Amino acid sequence: MVDVVSNVTAVGMSVEAITASQIGMKAIAAAIAITGTAFAAAWAEMAIGSAAVGATAENKDIFGLVLLLTVIPETIVIFGLVVALLLIF
Amino acid sequence: MSRLLIVASRDQLDPVIRELYHSHLFHIEDFIVDGREGYDGFSIGKPLPGASEVSTDLVKVRTIENAFLIRPSEIEPTGKRPTAELRSTIEQELPAIEHELGELTGRRSRLEVALKEYDQKITELLPFTEIPMDMEMYRGYAGLTVLAGYVSKEVNIPEPAEVYISAGKARRLIVAVFKNDRRSDVDRVLLEANFQAVSIPVESGVPRARIDAYKEQVAQAKAEIDQINRRLDEIRDRHREFLVACEEILKADIERAEAPLRFATIGQAFVAEGWVPKDRVASLKDALNGATGGRIFVTELTVGEHDPVPVEYDNPPFARPSQLLMDTYSRPKYTELDPTIMVSIVFPIFFGLILGDVGYGAMLLVLCLGLRKFIKGEEGQQLIAVLRNASISSIFFGVLYSEFLGFPLPWTYILPSRHLNIGGGGGHGPNIPGLMMMAIWIGIVHITLGRVLGIVNHAQHDHGAHRTKAVLANAGWILMIWGILLLIWSMIPMPYMPDLTGLPPVVMGLNVSALIGIAVLVVGLIFIARESALEIVELPTIFSHSLSYSRLVAVGLSSVAIAMVVNYIAIGMLIEPQLENISLIGVLFIIMGVLVFLIGHVMNTLLGIIGGSLHSVRLHYVEFFTKFYKGGGIKYSPFGFKRRFTED
Repeated sequence: MVDVVSNVTAVGMSVEAITASQIGMKAIAAAIAITGTAFAAAWAEMAIGSAAVGATAENKDIFGLVLLLTVIPETIVIFGLVVALLLIF
Repeated sequence: MSRLLIVASRDQLDPVIRELYHSHLFHIEDFIVDGREGYDGFSIGKPLPGASEVSTDLVKVRTIENAFLIRPSEIEPTGKRPTAELRSTIEQELPAIEHELGELTGRRSRLEVALKEYDQKITELLPFTEIPMDMEMYRGYAGLTVLAGYVSKEVNIPEPAEVYISAGKARRLIVAVFKNDRRSDVDRVLLEANFQAVSIPVESGVPRARIDAYKEQVAQAKAEIDQINRRLDEIRDRHREFLVACEEILKADIERAEAPLRFATIGQAFVAEGWVPKDRVASLKDALNGATGGRIFVTELTVGEHDPVPVEYDNPPFARPSQLLMDTYSRPKYTELDPTIMVSIVFPIFFGLILGDVGYGAMLLVLCLGLRKFIKGEEGQQLIAVLRNASISSIFFGVLYSEFLGFPLPWTYILPSRHLNIGGGGGHGPNIPGLMMMAIWIGIVHITLGRVLGIVNHAQHDHGAHRTKAVLANAGWILMIWGILLLIWSMIPMPYMPDLTGLPPVVMGLNVSALIGIAVLVVGLIFIARESALEIVELPTIFSHSLSYSRLVAVGLSSVAIAMVVNYIAIGMLIEPQLENISLIGVLFIIMGVLVFLIGHVMNTLLGIIGGSLHSVRLHYVEFFTKFYKGGGIKYSPFGFKRRFTED
């Protein structure tokens, strides 16, 4: 450990700087998890949503069902959020 | 439900239908000519006499209602009218209303046509107001041509010609009068100046005066239309209740008159099949015997396994609103377990876990109580009741989470903390592992419950070898879940889960719990594969479905985060810094802060309702119902309907 610390101080970084950059990396990783999954969920909902609107125009009774189908891909972004939360906390 | 068979001679058709309609119990099974055993030679019955007259009347009533924009479902009945009195007045009143309506709407549409004509004339005259000349001067010449129109640049029409050009740059009105034989020269000159011809209206008098006269006529026509509309409103208000009552009795008449179309007839007899709740069979039999003087044969048939038995819910009052959620998915089959009670208990709990906030719960509760009076129809009322229960649960969980619009309440949280460190509030921050494990535990219990119900369902319905296999497969899924859990517990220590890593290893570094886990898992796998090997590909759903319950935490945390951000922007950034030394601009900031606070929390409540309800419903439909529930039952809709506006 002492060696590692002396090595990194040799390249010009203090221990505080390393911890800070690790926290930053975690935050970036969390952001990537959320961004990717949010895009994926939005993309999936785009296709389902437009089909759902079309189906509702044909038959109003299935509104409840298609509303539900539309939120099904939200699982993707929820998994992303879970990963992000676990990364940060 | 009991299956009833009614046989009587054709001359008893009318009293039988009348009695069935009146009792509102008999779910008719439509007769279809499909060569069913024992029904050779039967044909569909003919409607009772008078059906076509009634339907003509009904069309009339509905046309009038449409013209007046009357919707029976939106009208609260003030009292019930006796049908006998209505029937006697229908024949005179209906044509009178129809006549008056026709006359008024006819006059209105004639006026509307005239209005359009006047507007057209005014637009035609408008260009000529620049020239104060009588419109008669523009026409009636034998040797002269008059042209009017717009040009976009300077134009020089060679003499001899009388030309008027208005002042202006881009679009200038030009009126030219010249001899007929010079037409081609003038046309060429005009063409170069991008001439656009305007038709000269056939009028007499100065344009300005004519326009004023037309405007007056327009005003008159509009006033008359207003008068007609007021008159129509008067008629509508006077006859509204009469019309909806008429529609109701005519609809009843037509349903009765067309009922024989759903029965089977042969020779002089008819046969009706249908369903009646078991405890009402005796009373219906007695009523039918009474109505026909005993000239009827009613018997109970045995119910076959694949008969399309109609389903009526039988739930305690608190669970009834949740039937809406069940019907959205699919009504349970007659022989199936009805999970409505479970949904009615678990749905509010899930909702509360997601939107656990005293402030939001109270807002939603007030909203539900307020909307209850305005929302009509059974489904709307059910939805409101479901949301009301959910909001009460939301308040309850808000107390447990110690949350009020994102602020902590004076007591400490009982459930794992959801208070985020937004705006530098300090504190412990959220207990994410605790929340996550809580959600996953709920998921495991819910899924296991679903599989247990699956065992019960299969044990009740299936027969022979298939029954054993299906029951064991469901048990296999439970074994898989708990086997995997035992295995994980034996290897990784986790918060809020039993830690079995400390047990002494037995073989290959595996301890007792791991070995039991593996054994249970393998047995489960065999049970599942025995029913259908294809089910093996579904194995990952054990993880994905259990993890899916983490939405209870994730969606809730996002709503807490929005609430805290709104509070921080409104109070921490806008209001608080200005309160220290108040200035004029500071007051504006405070007002802005209050607006941000209000709009932010209202938006978050709406998001919370949508997120909270849709995600809880989804957990039921996708994660819970897929384990045991099929649905596909037919709604029990007995012949006849509840009268709202009339009574016998």
